[in-house]
Amino acid sequence: MTTQAAAGPLAPFRVIDLTNELGQLAGRMLGDLGAEVIKVEQPGGDESRFIGPFRGDVVDPEYSLHWWTFNSNKLGATLDLTSARGQELLTKLLDSADFLIETCPPDAAAALGLGVERISASHPGLVHTSITPFGREGLYASWKATDLVGTAMGGLSSLCGAPGRPPIRPTASQGFTQVSAQAVVGTLVAHYQRTKSGRGQHVDQSMQEAVTFTHDNASPTWDIRGINNGRPGNGREIGGYKSGQYVYEAADGYVAALSYGGLFGLTARQTIEWLDKHGMAGDLTSDEWLAKLDATQGLLIPPSGEDADHLNDVLVAFCKKFTRAQLVSEAQQIRNGWGIVHTPKDLLENEHLAARDYWTEVEHEGAHVTYPGPWAKLSKTPLSVRHRAPRIGEHNLYVYGNLLGFSDDEIMALSEQGVI
Amino acid sequence: MSTDTADKVFEGIRIADFAWVGVGPLVSKYLADHGAEVIRIESSVRPEPLRRAPPFVNDEPGLDNSGYYADFNSSKKCASLNLQHPDGVKIAKRIVEHCDIVTESFTPKAMRAWGMTYEDLCEVRPDLIMISMPMYGLTGPWSMWQGYGHVLQAAAGISHLTAYPGEEPIGTGVAYTDFLVPHFAASALLAALDHRQRTGEGQNIDFGQMEAAIHATETMVLDYTVNGREQEALGAGHPDYHPYGTYQCAARGDDDDRWIAITVTNADELAALADAAGQPSWTSMDPQALDDAIAAWTRTQQAEELMQRLQDGGVPAGVVQTPEDLRSDPQLAHRGHYWMLDHPTMGHRAYDGPSFRLSDTPAELTKAAPLLGEDNEYVYKDIVGMSDEEYVEHLVSGAFD
Repeated sequence: MTTQAAAGPLAPFRVIDLTNELGQLAGRMLGDLGAEVIKVEQPGGDESRFIGPFRGDVVDPEYSLHWWTFNSNKLGATLDLTSARGQELLTKLLDSADFLIETCPPDAAAALGLGVERISASHPGLVHTSITPFGREGLYASWKATDLVGTAMGGLSSLCGAPGRPPIRPTASQGFTQVSAQAVVGTLVAHYQRTKSGRGQHVDQSMQEAVTFTHDNASPTWDIRGINNGRPGNGREIGGYKSGQYVYEAADGYVAALSYGGLFGLTARQTIEWLDKHGMAGDLTSDEWLAKLDATQGLLIPPSGEDADHLNDVLVAFCKKFTRAQLVSEAQQIRNGWGIVHTPKDLLENEHLAARDYWTEVEHEGAHVTYPGPWAKLSKTPLSVRHRAPRIGEHNLYVYGNLLGFSDDEIMALSEQGVI
Repeated sequence: MSTDTADKVFEGIRIADFAWVGVGPLVSKYLADHGAEVIRIESSVRPEPLRRAPPFVNDEPGLDNSGYYADFNSSKKCASLNLQHPDGVKIAKRIVEHCDIVTESFTPKAMRAWGMTYEDLCEVRPDLIMISMPMYGLTGPWSMWQGYGHVLQAAAGISHLTAYPGEEPIGTGVAYTDFLVPHFAASALLAALDHRQRTGEGQNIDFGQMEAAIHATETMVLDYTVNGREQEALGAGHPDYHPYGTYQCAARGDDDDRWIAITVTNADELAALADAAGQPSWTSMDPQALDDAIAAWTRTQQAEELMQRLQDGGVPAGVVQTPEDLRSDPQLAHRGHYWMLDHPTMGHRAYDGPSFRLSDTPAELTKAAPLLGEDNEYVYKDIVGMSDEEYVEHLVSGAFD
């Protein structure tokens, strides 16, 4: 179990988290930063408890690894927001909170008591963050979106995949990841303003717009050159210039062998010496080739054409002969920024992450489960994974008793009425 | 410069930004676009790589002509300084003395060699917040390794999940982690700034890009540590939903690369899709046959019209928009995503603003990207306090190269 003592920078603050899968990472990140995050879910359990995969493939709301991943560092309370009594209790909860984050569909917000004006009138000191597919207002505000619709409409999918084949997305949902992580930034900008003014405000965060952040240089490339960067397959495209392959098959998997600049990268001569040491440089040691490589050193425009194809053939043959670890460690010695294409197993066995004490053991009813550790190391206010995701209603007594001051009998009655 | 900074969120916060390429500049951009004074510290001797990367206006390479650099550096100032010059580090520390935050993204040996680690810089600015953002963090066996966002998406496991089923792990077509981890870094930085606001205490942030990027792999880690299963890439697909993919639409003019994402997450949405297509049998069709039927149908449809029709019926669907499409997207226009700013050499150009809207203190992109060394006189005379004589002396000696 991770140390309980570690208090992140946001330890003095409380967050009410009404998010579904679109925004659950946002609450998780605020929890990682030390805030007390109370995930409020409907009686019987949140819908996202039924998103797989599940522990041992047993479909059970307490076994969802999706739930575990995105709701650790949160407390859990149940509340029926569709009832008037439930909305009253939410108002009381917000009285004690500093942040509200929610993923309510814009056209349902008012009915659930989550209208922007209503919240700002009743809780002017609250930072209220809405995470939606397209934003709270506008032509597409009522449209529905899954992760793929988000990566498509925000432009990432047009840059993912191979020419002539269907656009793809990372199978781990990047629309959700992007919108959640950017919502945290917006939330903390609003929070900083509150430290000066004492006033909260509304943060309107759109998944589509968040995905536009991922375009690399595609936005200025269209603006300046009138060219759409496209789907480069196993390659890159910078400023409308296509480059060749950069993922190569090694003897035991794949390496990402990117060299930046010029025909063979800024370290072309060192790379050729390296290949030559292994007897695999072919004709690249000739004066003609060295002159060609030197001549392109200053350019950061990716290479293409016959010369690039030839260099690629040499690299394809070279990489197949060696393991990923040998290729990458030798490449790094000559300052080529190559890396290993890690599988999940590789990551968990990775020596560097182990040396940095990255992985965290989180207790689940006596068992220990390995989770990714903190995403930043702060010297004075360290982040930590303090505890696992809550069971359904696990912290109802704390939330309704300690925070809102209800007696045990009153809490029992709320439970019997189906409010919590 | 900005007309009125009176109610800017980060008014009075000054940042010395030594970082380069994607991650660092995109972190300081969040603060600059909300009113912080961000000073890019760069050199013409070893230029910031993005200043040398396309797209260039008129396809003419030039340090003040790259759209790639410009888009990431709105609302900032720039002082030129050669840290290899005998006086370079001394001058850098005189800037830092007047700054609240230092950002950098070199491999760790650079700041150590210059004597500009967090501990060193605390001597001139005790309440400093410093964030270092190397690929693999400040410590550990790989800490001196170089890399790029394309490579780091592979190292973090994202490329493993980005491929056509059963094929090589191509990853996204962008330097993906450069556009992912800045949000995590900025969140850590803003939380540290809040802590300083309340306590007066600064701190050091060791931000290993790979460690943050792993948090973008959803359940990939737990599926392995709990179930021993290595998740695999599914192209555009989803492990639980079908249909869930991208389908080619009718050509638009000579452009025969128009696609739509159509996704269905429950029986109601499947019924709505079948209804929109006028194909009741789709609700009970074999998955592969259904995919083929959808693809045959969409090929005859105009992408934008089909999107409207499907959304009207309640099906989550959206055009696979290109950068060109996005510039005329009505929703992004409604939100004012693109800012048109005038640059002295690049002209009137579009810049990306942040993706969130703050109701009371929204972002404002106050100016286009800075020219290399554009703000030298302001930074060295007004902030650092150099006399005219001293300024000229350093200029002549090459300290500002």
